[in-house]
Amino acid sequence: MSMADDDKVTYEVPIGPIHPALKEPFMIKFKLEGEEIVDADPHPGMNHRGIEFMGMHRNPMKVIPLAERTCGICSIVHQHMYTTAVEHAVDIVPTQRARYIRTIMMELERIHSHVLWAGVAAHEIGFDTHMHFTWKIREKVMDLLEAISGNRVNYSMWTFGGVRRDITEDMYPKIEETLDYYAELYDKLEDIFLGDPSIRHRTKDIGILTKKKALELCGVGPTVRGSGVKKDVRIDQPYAAYPDLELDYVLPSRYGYENIGDVFSKTVVRLKEILQSIDLIEQCVEKMPEGEITSEGNKAALFNKLKRASGEGIGRLEAPRGEAMHYVRLTEDNEDVDCWKIRASTYNNLATYAPMFMGEQIADIPIIAACIDPCIGCMDRAEIVNLDTGEKKKYSKDELHELSVQKTEDILGGIDI
Amino acid sequence: MNSDELPLSLEELEEYFVAELEDGLESIETEEIEKGLSKKTMKLIWMKIDRDNFRDAVKAISEIQVPHLSVASGSDKGDFIELIYHFMVNYGYPEEETAVNLKVELPKYDLTIPTITDIVPGAITTEREKQEFLGIDVKDIPDDRRMWLDENYPDDRYPWRWDKTGMEDMSRHVHEKEQTFEEPVSERVDKEEDGD
Repeated sequence: MSMADDDKVTYEVPIGPIHPALKEPFMIKFKLEGEEIVDADPHPGMNHRGIEFMGMHRNPMKVIPLAERTCGICSIVHQHMYTTAVEHAVDIVPTQRARYIRTIMMELERIHSHVLWAGVAAHEIGFDTHMHFTWKIREKVMDLLEAISGNRVNYSMWTFGGVRRDITEDMYPKIEETLDYYAELYDKLEDIFLGDPSIRHRTKDIGILTKKKALELCGVGPTVRGSGVKKDVRIDQPYAAYPDLELDYVLPSRYGYENIGDVFSKTVVRLKEILQSIDLIEQCVEKMPEGEITSEGNKAALFNKLKRASGEGIGRLEAPRGEAMHYVRLTEDNEDVDCWKIRASTYNNLATYAPMFMGEQIADIPIIAACIDPCIGCMDRAEIVNLDTGEKKKYSKDELHELSVQKTEDILGGIDI
Repeated sequence: MNSDELPLSLEELEEYFVAELEDGLESIETEEIEKGLSKKTMKLIWMKIDRDNFRDAVKAISEIQVPHLSVASGSDKGDFIELIYHFMVNYGYPEEETAVNLKVELPKYDLTIPTITDIVPGAITTEREKQEFLGIDVKDIPDDRRMWLDENYPDDRYPWRWDKTGMEDMSRHVHEKEQTFEEPVSERVDKEEDGD
């Protein structure tokens, strides 16, 4: 607490790491004058797991499953960026059919992520009925992802040169059914999030990010498209099958809204992108070329090639949360990945928090914090040192095991198991 | 640069950088990769620049368009540390976006680089990250606090370094063996002792 010259009292309020807005550990320190926010200072790093460091101690093949575990929701995104970066570095060309399968998977994940975000946003403003509704309809796309890949999360579909599982014609009816399901429900979703007066009241003119600030701070994704910035890697620098598809920038102005950059604008962008994704998957299914699903069928030969390969590459895409990229370098004298840099969307959007919070009320902190669709797991990536700061004691594996056995026994109250 | 002239083709960009940076440019390469059935290309430029001309290069990029800095990646290459600033230009123009990758090499005995936050305010996150993960001193950085690593993490160890300031001995089998590094003394304890 400090006294300003004009007798205004400034309070410092840390919010997090266990947060009313996010289920992930993340802290923002706020400076408040009464109810008004005058400064916001994000403190990330509570979820640092050293994924880049671990990757630099593994061979390129082993890093594929590691890369997708960077994040649970956007695991496809990190898998795709890593594999394309290595493909770029060692000149592997994925097959055309694989490009289309990758695109279908990435767009399904975008539907999944945006529906999930809509639920989180409803929860932040106290509308839990809508949260349950959106999370219920999210199950359908997860079922489809499971039907295609075998997994509900961490799909393990990618490999160098293509994908590991095909999308065959007998899966088309299931895909169509899921897309129809979302197309039918879309009007209801839009009616809730754009039409409901109480949601409008909580999101309109709240957390404004101006176009100038969005550009200066290098923001990405729906966060800046809501401010009218035309940035979308799928169009600007198309990858996978996007060069063959028809799509346009999703800006609120295209649908009769203003590009203000408030929470409402960002909601419009995310909802309209669900419709865009449905359209893109339909285009992919229609245009899907015949052929092999991977250009590197011989795994042993590929492994040997990667061992001796040298080069550097960039994998870049438009994740549901915005542009993200990986940089990979392989060298001849190092069998492991020599350098790996992950850059997730939230990393760049972190800087946009301060201007969005400025001048807003305490009650709006959760929804503004959620409006960039933050993904702390992606952004943080590492926790290395195992220290108990209170007692300065390090536990060995055996001690930890003993402690957990002790805890179980305490809970069971001596019941023999 | 006038916005009417955008988007610039790969050749125009190359000519522009050669003219702007003259002798400061150590090397420049362009690359195009075909994507999809329609054979559209992904465009990249790789530039290597001396540290003294680094800010001029960033200014040259910022004159094309408000620069989009994706990230700065960095790695330990023995005697020097290589930083690559990945900029994007021509965004907002379908299929025209070009990645401009700016490489700078910093010798281990003088790991300093000027800040670019006055030209690209969004660079602050990545500059702070380079300070704590590679031990680079970013001159005139507006905010030099630690961002990602735990406050108990030693000050003189850097996770992405391969030399003795790296963290090889700290990381392997963290749960299985006693860690060999010295436990750092937290700042708060120091202050209390000073007070006494």
